[in-house]
Amino acid sequence: MQFAVPPRRSPLPIARSSRMPIYRRKQFKSIAVLAFAIFSLLFIVHHIYSLGSPSLTAAVPSGVVIVTLLDRQRLSESYVKKIVTNREDYAKRHGKAFLSHLIYIRVESNRRTRTGYTNFFASVADYADAIGDAPRTWAIAPAVRHAMAKYPQSAYFFHLSPHSLIMNPTKSLNSHILEKNKLEELVMKDASIVPPDSIIKTFAHQNEKDIEFIITQDTEDLNPGSFILKSGEFARFFLDMWFDPLYRSYNFAKAETHGLDHILQWHPTVLARTALVPQRSISSYSKDSLRASPEGTYKDGDLVIQFRGCEEVEGRDCERELEPYYKIWLGIPQRD
Amino acid sequence: MTLSRSPSPRPGGGWSSPALNAAADAASPGTFSPNEISWGSVKAISDETGDYPSFASRNTGFFSRQRLKISTRLSTLWRGSSHEYSEKDDHGPKWRHTDSFRCNACSLPGICTRRGRFRLLVRLLILWIAYLLFWSSIVPIYRRSPMGGGQKFVIILGSNVEGGVMELKGAREWAIERNSIWNKKNYALKWGYQLELANLLAKKRYSHEWRESWEKGDIIREAMLKYPHAEWFWWLDLNTWIMEYDTSLQQHIFNNLESKVYRDITAYNPMNITHPLPEFWLDELGRSTEGDGNPESLNMLLSQDCAGFNLGSFFIRRSLWADRLLDAWWDPVMYEQMHMEWAHKEQDAFEYIYQSQPWVRSGVGFLPQRSINAFPPGACGDQENPTVHYQQNARDFVVNMAGCMFGRDCWSEIYYYRELSKWLSRPLWIRFKESVVDAYEGLRGNIKKT
Repeated sequence: MQFAVPPRRSPLPIARSSRMPIYRRKQFKSIAVLAFAIFSLLFIVHHIYSLGSPSLTAAVPSGVVIVTLLDRQRLSESYVKKIVTNREDYAKRHGKAFLSHLIYIRVESNRRTRTGYTNFFASVADYADAIGDAPRTWAIAPAVRHAMAKYPQSAYFFHLSPHSLIMNPTKSLNSHILEKNKLEELVMKDASIVPPDSIIKTFAHQNEKDIEFIITQDTEDLNPGSFILKSGEFARFFLDMWFDPLYRSYNFAKAETHGLDHILQWHPTVLARTALVPQRSISSYSKDSLRASPEGTYKDGDLVIQFRGCEEVEGRDCERELEPYYKIWLGIPQRD
Repeated sequence: MTLSRSPSPRPGGGWSSPALNAAADAASPGTFSPNEISWGSVKAISDETGDYPSFASRNTGFFSRQRLKISTRLSTLWRGSSHEYSEKDDHGPKWRHTDSFRCNACSLPGICTRRGRFRLLVRLLILWIAYLLFWSSIVPIYRRSPMGGGQKFVIILGSNVEGGVMELKGAREWAIERNSIWNKKNYALKWGYQLELANLLAKKRYSHEWRESWEKGDIIREAMLKYPHAEWFWWLDLNTWIMEYDTSLQQHIFNNLESKVYRDITAYNPMNITHPLPEFWLDELGRSTEGDGNPESLNMLLSQDCAGFNLGSFFIRRSLWADRLLDAWWDPVMYEQMHMEWAHKEQDAFEYIYQSQPWVRSGVGFLPQRSINAFPPGACGDQENPTVHYQQNARDFVVNMAGCMFGRDCWSEIYYYRELSKWLSRPLWIRFKESVVDAYEGLRGNIKKT
């Protein structure tokens, strides 16, 4: 087999040196563009799936549940009625206006703004079996846990003792406390947990994002009569721990209040999520209350007034103490 | 069979090819790829650039210089072999094989010559020796690297228990310690895991609060700080032996967590713990039997022995849940009331909070005891119990000489399992030798019998 002329396949020498690179370059270019496109597409898809799926499927909780624990065996019908009216009025006011406030609580909250303020009235008797011999005031923890089970879509649980009145219903919890800037402004950093000078103090550097438990203190202890708990893993952990049978059987002098003092002083994972706020922001004391300090006593315009100890202390009568403030509260809507 | 044109350029530039003009090429319909650029168009481009491609510009680059050479040679080879095909086909398929083999071998550059073949052989030999020498050290390095996944596991070995403060440490105690550490070190090295030796020396800090053996929590926390990339922390007591070096934690448990772990404690419940919790005020998660059913929420894996939880060998995952557990585990109020009853200290305390605090349950998964914590005979009753005791045929992963300090001999047990593990994982060659010897012995026995 002889090849007199160059084989057809083999191109001309001049052409070869200049032709191929142009041709190849084009090919490479298109391959590179294609590869880049595919990679960026994959990246975007991955990003959407890794970020998007939880927020799309799981509804973001929002709204506030006000938990009031009523001891119907000890409180009179009329007293209970007043308290219920007070709470329901507050929920009704902010149920509708809630939409606008909600947006800046958390960026993600605006996804689902279904719930507003809801009331949950728990009855102490329901938890009597679980509490056993311990004081009935321990019922707070299971009651809040109960509310969490009943309203899994709610973001915040506001426990308010039955011996307290919401005095300024125009203030919403969101704008008053929960909003990011407001909360950052209120948080008491590096403050002794148990006043006046316990060695365990709140964290000096605490991020607003980490706060899941908002509580106040009076002159001696933390005040579990009024606190805000954010729903989630932490809330479950904290409430379960607080209600641990060994705490209840320990005979803390002030039952659940001392239990709370104890937890916050010994368990940094709880303390890290806790914000101490000035007393008057969610639990101003009435003048007659036990351990009322000048800074913590109710002044006009405060959100809540609490008649701390009106039940336990001899010679005090919750209903009589409540009456004047209840009248003032009734008067507010007309004045507005 | 020679090309009619010479591929070499003339010294003055230009080519000696006779067909070097546009007309000749346009006439020839030859193409070398489907979407060919025509000669005419390229000529136009080269005219635009204006200069005649010179000798120097054409021969730049290794590949453009070599391509012609290679392609010429390949074509001759191809043609040659095709010739031989047709000629020698009559001789049968034997020829065809040898031919095609030679052709394939020679198509690799530099193998046609004897020297080339020798070189290739030498290279292969060097590669083989390098493999023998370095492979065993490269693999662990890879496994230890972020890609290998070994960094995700830390083995925490509780060593130097009470440090000889209460009782003198004798030769046996030292031997146990040396061997146990050696065992975990080798295992960790093989799979690229980290090994953290926890010094359980009796400290005033713990004895002051009467809580020796509670330092587990503190040690795990320290390890979490020390190894920021690790996800799972495996606590092992000193009196344990990892029997299977060839089993990685990933393939043994973590690649398939869902199927290896059970959450419903009623499946094996020696302590009769009420499960699920009946309390009406708990949410669905608190009252569920299987937690949330998502393996992602498993934060602690442990096994139960015949008496309940056993924390001689357990896993805990870096998570918020773990932080909370380690925090809640020891509490002065609980401890004050219970330390007389909690004979097993931190283990009993964990059992307690598992029962009393619902949030704990959703994070705990159980492994069958023998998968991470098989007992030797003598622990958990004298009778052989296949759910509790080490099974040689099943090649159980870890043996825990639990309770060997109470009336048993820790050192002899450790020694026994060390030798057993060595024997079980003996190499193939020794197995072969053994089987030969056995066969021989059997034969001799038979002869003797007859």
